[in-house]
Amino acid sequence: MIDRRLIKNIDWYLISLLVLNSLIGVIMIYSASHYMPGSYHWRQLVFIGLGLLALFALLLVDYKVLMAFSFYFYGAVVFVLMMMLIFGQFTSKGSWIRLRYFGVQPSELAKVVLILVLARFFSEYKRNQATPSAVITSSALVGLPFVLVALQPDLGTAVSFLPLLLGSLILAGLKKKAVIAIVILGVLAGLAGWSFFLKDYQKQRLSTVVFPGRDPKGAGYHILQSKIAIGSGGLLGKGFARGSQSQLRFLPARHTDFVFSVIGEEFGFIGIFGMLLLYYLFLRRLFRSAPKSRDRAGVYIISMVSLMISFQLVINVAMVIGIFPIVGIPLPLLSYGGSSLLANFLAVGLVLNVTMRRFANI
Amino acid sequence: MEKNRIYEDLSLILRRTSRVFSVVILLLLLLIFIYWKVQILDHKKYWNLAEANRTRESVIIAPRGLIMDRNGIILADNSASFKASIIRENCPDIDHSLDEVGRLLEISPEELKSRIAKYESLPLFWPIVVKDNLELKDVSRIESRRLEFPELIVEVDPRRKYPFSSLAAHVIGYMQELTEEELKSQAFAGRTLGELVGRTGIERQYESLLVGTDGQRIEVVDSQGRRRGEVSRLEPRPGHNLKLTLDFDLQRKATELLEGREGAIIVLDALAGEVLALASFPTYDPNKFITRFSPQEWMDLINRADHPLENRAIRGLYAPGSLFKLAMAVGALNCGVITEQTSFFCAGQVNFYGRPFNCWQRGGHGTLSLADAIRYSCNVYFYNVGRRMGIDRIAEHAKLLGLGEKTGVDIPGEKEGLIPTPEWSRRVRQMDWYPGETISVSIGQGPVVVTPLQVAVYTAVIASRGRRLVPRLFKSSDSPRAQPPAMAVNNPADKIRPDLFEKVVQGMWKSVNEEGTGRGAKVSDFNVCGKTGSTQLVSREAAEKLGKKIKTHSWFTGFAPRDNPRVVVTVLVEYGGMGGATAAPLAKELFSLYKEKNDRSAAH
Repeated sequence: MIDRRLIKNIDWYLISLLVLNSLIGVIMIYSASHYMPGSYHWRQLVFIGLGLLALFALLLVDYKVLMAFSFYFYGAVVFVLMMMLIFGQFTSKGSWIRLRYFGVQPSELAKVVLILVLARFFSEYKRNQATPSAVITSSALVGLPFVLVALQPDLGTAVSFLPLLLGSLILAGLKKKAVIAIVILGVLAGLAGWSFFLKDYQKQRLSTVVFPGRDPKGAGYHILQSKIAIGSGGLLGKGFARGSQSQLRFLPARHTDFVFSVIGEEFGFIGIFGMLLLYYLFLRRLFRSAPKSRDRAGVYIISMVSLMISFQLVINVAMVIGIFPIVGIPLPLLSYGGSSLLANFLAVGLVLNVTMRRFANI
Repeated sequence: MEKNRIYEDLSLILRRTSRVFSVVILLLLLLIFIYWKVQILDHKKYWNLAEANRTRESVIIAPRGLIMDRNGIILADNSASFKASIIRENCPDIDHSLDEVGRLLEISPEELKSRIAKYESLPLFWPIVVKDNLELKDVSRIESRRLEFPELIVEVDPRRKYPFSSLAAHVIGYMQELTEEELKSQAFAGRTLGELVGRTGIERQYESLLVGTDGQRIEVVDSQGRRRGEVSRLEPRPGHNLKLTLDFDLQRKATELLEGREGAIIVLDALAGEVLALASFPTYDPNKFITRFSPQEWMDLINRADHPLENRAIRGLYAPGSLFKLAMAVGALNCGVITEQTSFFCAGQVNFYGRPFNCWQRGGHGTLSLADAIRYSCNVYFYNVGRRMGIDRIAEHAKLLGLGEKTGVDIPGEKEGLIPTPEWSRRVRQMDWYPGETISVSIGQGPVVVTPLQVAVYTAVIASRGRRLVPRLFKSSDSPRAQPPAMAVNNPADKIRPDLFEKVVQGMWKSVNEEGTGRGAKVSDFNVCGKTGSTQLVSREAAEKLGKKIKTHSWFTGFAPRDNPRVVVTVLVEYGGMGGATAAPLAKELFSLYKEKNDRSAAH
């Protein structure tokens, strides 16, 4: 079922960048956590291996087939998320389902499913502008898992669903008025969420983005420590595993959400610049894959994956330097975490799946 | 790309995709700019913040110098103890944290909060001592829960300890915590919160000598405040030890003798002016200042009617009564208004300026010479002497002999007393001096007041036949620069011939050894010379009118032996009755103890 010609069309450059970035992540995770029990760097290495296996397994099945089954996947994911909400206190903790050896976050995998569902929904959509019914339907498709995940509560993952919706709607074509309407609705929803849904700790996190110095040991503490780590790195950084902020544990969530601060502290502005350059190359390859799609659905898939990863990158990089609230979005590929890594590998796998099958009838 | 076209026209959505990518690139450029600003432009600021995070300075408190008696018996020691402090900067939530710490240290939250509130205006990173005198078992309990309390630090804290508690408390003084204002002042720069400072006595006088220099430790700490290593360490320099002139045995004896009374005892070395004992009663336990009073205990202490905190020896003002007659005698001889042969007749009462003045002996003493007038402490004799001298010459000689002037002893807070003059009367009382007052002053009554230490110095002047000395508590120190403050005093020997003193001394010897008023102080083979005094608080007539039993302050002052005097003893017992009955026997105990000790050391 897989042709040798298909293998020839696999984008090895993209895979190389994917693996390179992930391995840099392993090194930074080592620096940030080698003095703690848990061997996070080894585990992350295992996740990368598993991620690659999953990615190649995904390539075996034509994305059209995956899309055909996407509503079943969707139904299954929504079912699991609901069950987690209902029976959450018995089997899981927040967004995690505990398995024998490690936990799984179904909300991360929900992203991949949403990409397929949205791509399928918009694949037959050939107008130049999105109709209200299309907007409503796609919003509902994203909105349901969004609410379920936000209630877990895992605001970070829930928020990272939004670029999928936004990306697909942009491709479908939104009038300027509609964009403005979405922004206004977003603000209103944000305000409503602020007063009704956000937990206190989330409110504090948001408010201290503006005044991190006001309350050094409170919610602003993490932002401030992260800024200190990055700023004290200077041009060249303090050297690998020599950053006082991370080694002395002033930096919070060093190997997960704040791994980028460790790069900033230990490798300085040069390190930051180099890392963002690698990301740029990776994202450019992703975005530039779009023209290689043979059909509309493929373009949708590639755009959504690219935007999703870009969104996570921009938010995380903005978050650790304190210009965006700490919403718990990991740095794609670099932050420790199997589910998030797997979701991103699968997403890239979808892109590869599309580009390798660019020639029809094979 | 031409091939793609045959399937579908995707150019619109591809264009939109690349537009999205452009936005992403813009955002990345913006982020690079922000990182450039933080890492390159503001680097210095964040570097300093990271360093401040990384290191913690802590003070290693220097042990205070020891205070010893002249033979090296330690009167003020240091004991190792521990103290726990809160660093407010490290509290995530101060109220919650205080509750938890209170539970851990077994302090009520109110007490803890009031303590924190007391130092509210100090910088947040300053540790505030919340509990001290912790023992090792408390410390291990706290250390075992270290991780839960990043705001709590436990440090070694050498604490002052007075092994003999109230013994010599008024000499050594007490210590109290530095107040918030003091901590901010220049005078106490470099001192830390919770440190104690001498408030009275030797502890205050020689504070700079005793205090030592605190060391400093700069440690690398992690975000939990746990030590990760040491960057630098400056060892503390302990304070200098101090040897006092006090003699432990005499001091203890003096304290025992005063037990249950109110008063003061001073034992001086007659030649060097060294204070061998200085006791004031009632007294207090200076350890209590270290372990902290409960508010109730403190209020009780400061509101007590008998003022245990007052050092009566240097701050109690008493009329000298008959003790003053010695000054009268010396002065009168020096002025030439009498000679040792001059006699007056005492009929128990005499009239001057139209009013009667009584002698304490109702029947009178008959005709008396100077020596016998001192021996029997005859009032009438000295009324006559006073009238001949006049108030100005009385005051001049009293001051010359050390009364009504600060003695210059090296503990703070000494009072001056008062030798009245007409000039003083006009200036302070705004009234003229009555000649009758001169008569009262002649027997040490009226406005004249002195401190017991002044009396001791005055006695030493007579004993040494005219050498005025400054009493000293400082004996020696291991610091070469330490010296007691110098004070220039007039030497009476310049103005008074030594042989004049001899005549007064003869009367003092008779008073003790020939059945005079001071006979209670007689010690065989020691030739004690002394003088009693009984200070009337109300006049005898007034007391009789009121039908009250008069209780007088009871004085005795004396020296021994008669020739080559070595020791001066002054005793004051408030409301003690007659000087001969109460004070003299106490003085005797001290004279005999001194003699016994001296004989013993001479025998060795």
